[in-house]
Amino acid sequence: MRRIMPLIMAMGLIATLSMSAITAEEIIANVERNKINEAERIDGSMTISDRFGSRVKTFISYAAGADKMLLEFTNPEEKGQKILRLKDEIYLYFPEAEEVIHLQGSALRDSVMGSDFSYEDMTGEGDILDQYKVTLLGEENIDGRKHYHLELEARKRGLAYPKQEAWIDAETWVMTRANSYSLSGRLLKEMELGDIRQVAGKYVPHYIIMRDAMKKNSSTEMRIQSIDLQADLPPDIFSLEELTW
Amino acid sequence: MKLAKIAFRNIRRNRRRSLLSGTAIVVATMAITFLFSYITGFLGDYESNVVRYLTGHVRIRHVGYDENEQLNPLHLSVANYKDVVRKLEAEDGVVAVVPRTRFFTAIYRNDQTFEGIGLGVDFEREQQMMRIQDSLVQGRLPRSGEREMILSAGLARELDLEAGEKLTLLTKNKYMGMSGMTFLVTGIVRFQVAGFNDSFFLMPIDTAARFLKMDNEATEVLVMLEDSKQADAFVERTRGILANLGRDDLSVQAWTKVGMIYGMIRYAQNIYDIFALIFFLLASTVIVNTTMMVIYERMREIGTVAAMGMTPGEIVRLFFLEAFYIGAIAAFIGVLIGVAITLPLARTGINVGGITEGVDMELSSVLYPRLNIRSTVFVFFYATAIASLASFIPSRRAAKIEPVEALRAV
Repeated sequence: MRRIMPLIMAMGLIATLSMSAITAEEIIANVERNKINEAERIDGSMTISDRFGSRVKTFISYAAGADKMLLEFTNPEEKGQKILRLKDEIYLYFPEAEEVIHLQGSALRDSVMGSDFSYEDMTGEGDILDQYKVTLLGEENIDGRKHYHLELEARKRGLAYPKQEAWIDAETWVMTRANSYSLSGRLLKEMELGDIRQVAGKYVPHYIIMRDAMKKNSSTEMRIQSIDLQADLPPDIFSLEELTW
Repeated sequence: MKLAKIAFRNIRRNRRRSLLSGTAIVVATMAITFLFSYITGFLGDYESNVVRYLTGHVRIRHVGYDENEQLNPLHLSVANYKDVVRKLEAEDGVVAVVPRTRFFTAIYRNDQTFEGIGLGVDFEREQQMMRIQDSLVQGRLPRSGEREMILSAGLARELDLEAGEKLTLLTKNKYMGMSGMTFLVTGIVRFQVAGFNDSFFLMPIDTAARFLKMDNEATEVLVMLEDSKQADAFVERTRGILANLGRDDLSVQAWTKVGMIYGMIRYAQNIYDIFALIFFLLASTVIVNTTMMVIYERMREIGTVAAMGMTPGEIVRLFFLEAFYIGAIAAFIGVLIGVAITLPLARTGINVGGITEGVDMELSSVLYPRLNIRSTVFVFFYATAIASLASFIPSRRAAKIEPVEALRAV
């Protein structure tokens, strides 16, 4: 027994050390593994609150992997409008427009429907490790749960957020908080995620609140009404030809 | 012999001298007459453009619109604007009542994005205000309800686009969401106001409403009156009418109270008054200088008439009359030439497009000098008076000199 106890303690210590020895890259890889789905369909809503009151926009979004996403608005005012993301390209479709709008440059950072989300925020940001150098700043306890506190610094120029801070739930690998900063360190956006539910073996936040620090008294609350991670997506749904149908 | 006769004879006798003195007065009065007409035309043009293009004489908006104007708050609109237009149109002294919807857009063309300012208008009613039909340089006006628009010449040039082509606009709608629509460009318009030619386009107000998801709503209703001086009184009348309609959501403003526009006009007027004053003083010195020089030249003559028994008072009166006659005739001719230059230019205008292009002010590219009868008559009397009074100083001095001394002078 005297021999076993130190062994157990040593093993515990090794386990603890190995646990805390997780790298920032591994944390991000876990986050992306949990987040990215091959055939996802979401029915959701956005409640935009600002000085003029609140407005609700509803949508259906489809995603396949990290670089294909289609979002279609279903609320009466914007019914039929679509946003398609293919890798780094974003296209907009309006039922009454005879051409598809190819968003470029700074337009990608424009607000979607007057919300606190930009087109880039809304349609995903691509491979994080490709774009950012990540550093683990430490561990923090948030609402009784262990979180990893990461710092992300842009590897290249031209990204919407040159610097970000993220807090990752160590158990679910869900990013529960993120702050985005400009190159000069000015806070640009704050995001919080909650109501995490397990869906098809993955952890999905059903509630996101985004605040654009550049806008006064403005916030956008996004809610997922239903989510299917093994959706039967129509073929070619993520194509420009299908977009105009 | 009567002094008046002698004065006339002197003028005829010294023709070259009289001509020199008169020419200075002619040039000065002609220039002042034209300058006054130009300033009157400039200020009148600016005022007219502000009223026709921006504010009307009276402007009606939602009470919350002005405060949030930078955010293009389409939801803070004049709801049921047709009722408001109908009511105000029935009032006395009203020339036109026009609804307008102003909005900002991104214009997509050949994978490039441009910025533009849209105006939803009632083209028929606007014939009284912006006179769009008269400014059309290519194509035709858009049809009500159709997805059609006209572009300002500067914007068409920037987009490299002609009438008959299509373009897609993207804008924020009334619900703060996005709207996109493709429009046929039916015409190109060269607005009278240079500032409007760079970024504006117009479409039927019902088409704009469909694009912006508005329903019988306009961002403003403008009223043009027969007499601009009645604007304040009409504001009170409009407030009463709107109160009877139960429209406490609307605010009414006279054009003189809209932003800093009227202040700008008053400021410009003051600046021009200062210019005019300086010019007047310069012209006065020319007249005074010439008149005095002519009298000082005639010291020997003064000595002679004094030696012949003319009293100092008569000498002063004689030179005063000479200066008065020359002044009056020359001022009359000067004013006449000034009027003769102004009148044709008042019809054809002076092209100042090169100066006003790109200037963000409601200035026309062609300015029409406007003859101001009051200031023209004033210029005539002023020039005559200055010339006559200028004779007093040297002639009084000369009259006091002893005949012998005066005869010694060269």
